[in-house]
Amino acid sequence: MPGIDECLLDVMRLPGARGAAVVDWTSGLALGTIGESPNGDHEATAAETAEVARMAAEQPVFAQAAHTADPAHSALRGPARPDRSPTAPPGPAVEDVIVTAAAGYHILRFVETAFDSSVFLHLWLDRSEGNLALARIRLGEIAERLVLA
Amino acid sequence: MRPTATTRTVIPEQAVLSPMLQRLAAERATGALMRDRGTLYLADGQVVHAESPATPGIDVLLTTSGALRSEGWWDAVAQAGAGQRVARYLVDSGRVPGGALELCHLGALYDAAFFALAPTHTPARFRYGVSHWIGPVRPVPVDSVQRETLRRRELLDRIWPDALTDSAPIAPTAHPVDAPVPPRQRRVLDLVNGVRTATDIAQELGRSAFHTLVDLRRLAAAGLVEPVRPASAGSASGPVRIELPEVTADPDLALLRRLRDALEAL
Repeated sequence: MPGIDECLLDVMRLPGARGAAVVDWTSGLALGTIGESPNGDHEATAAETAEVARMAAEQPVFAQAAHTADPAHSALRGPARPDRSPTAPPGPAVEDVIVTAAAGYHILRFVETAFDSSVFLHLWLDRSEGNLALARIRLGEIAERLVLA
Repeated sequence: MRPTATTRTVIPEQAVLSPMLQRLAAERATGALMRDRGTLYLADGQVVHAESPATPGIDVLLTTSGALRSEGWWDAVAQAGAGQRVARYLVDSGRVPGGALELCHLGALYDAAFFALAPTHTPARFRYGVSHWIGPVRPVPVDSVQRETLRRRELLDRIWPDALTDSAPIAPTAHPVDAPVPPRQRRVLDLVNGVRTATDIAQELGRSAFHTLVDLRRLAAAGLVEPVRPASAGSASGPVRIELPEVTADPDLALLRRLRDALEAL
């Protein structure tokens, strides 16, 4: 059974991975952490990255591009899915946020859950050893596996 | 390298919200700490579960969204409730993926703990040996829970420093919605009707109550909602609010007149 810890261990197997965390972006809470964090404090890092994730998730410019179909319908809600009840929360419109910094790459990957949540995976990647494109794809797969059986 | 549950050994003095909880953690106690607004369940001095009347339980979080059908929940309670392994059963029977259950349960734990650790004058009680039927999921150190609860209080006050928003019925204001409301806040705003409280809205959405508090404080900061202040007029007790006679319906007009008069007098 893959849980938070197994998922974080998977993330750390990516080449150049320095540290990772599962974070709730509404509260800034780190639900699980592994490896290093840029400022040596996983909790502070989580609160800071959560703010970035929230800004990205809530900006209409990113959210609207995906589905501008029906303006009468609640503006930012995605198309109805047959496998979900009508009260199910809409999935995140933004998939990930990538920040390239002098001290490394940061990928924030939103995790889509079947229940109401605001969770993302944060990976801190070494610039010389990491492969940003590969890491982004793998992180997406891990995020999916985290909430699937 | 092992995943860590973000443990720190040094706790600053102000991070101790409940000296009793601190002591129970030190003695690695197992049981239920019952406080005014919620209950924390400990196992070996770690927090394993929390409940509060102010927050939706994990059953509400899972079933409202359709992540789990309510029959599935009740079946798990019937099958594994007596053995106190409901969480384990939900995962093993394939009803809820393991990672999803951990995320949902941790969210519910910190959510209920935030309310359970709210300041109170009622003394707390601890019942040794009691454990919750949800069973083990992902234990959290007491220090983490206390630190997070304090951080959350500060976060709310940074967004909009009006604690009444957390408990009073919330009403929409006449203020026009002049900027786009993010979808998650929109779902909260749609339920604001002057009667529902944050707890009611959280229950209805199947969303963490703390998340709902954050959304409501952001909406309040944007001027879109406001808490319904308890009516003080008409009752014998309490300070009577003196209603000043209204000078004019339009204060701006009155200000302009005064300004004109002042300028003319120069």
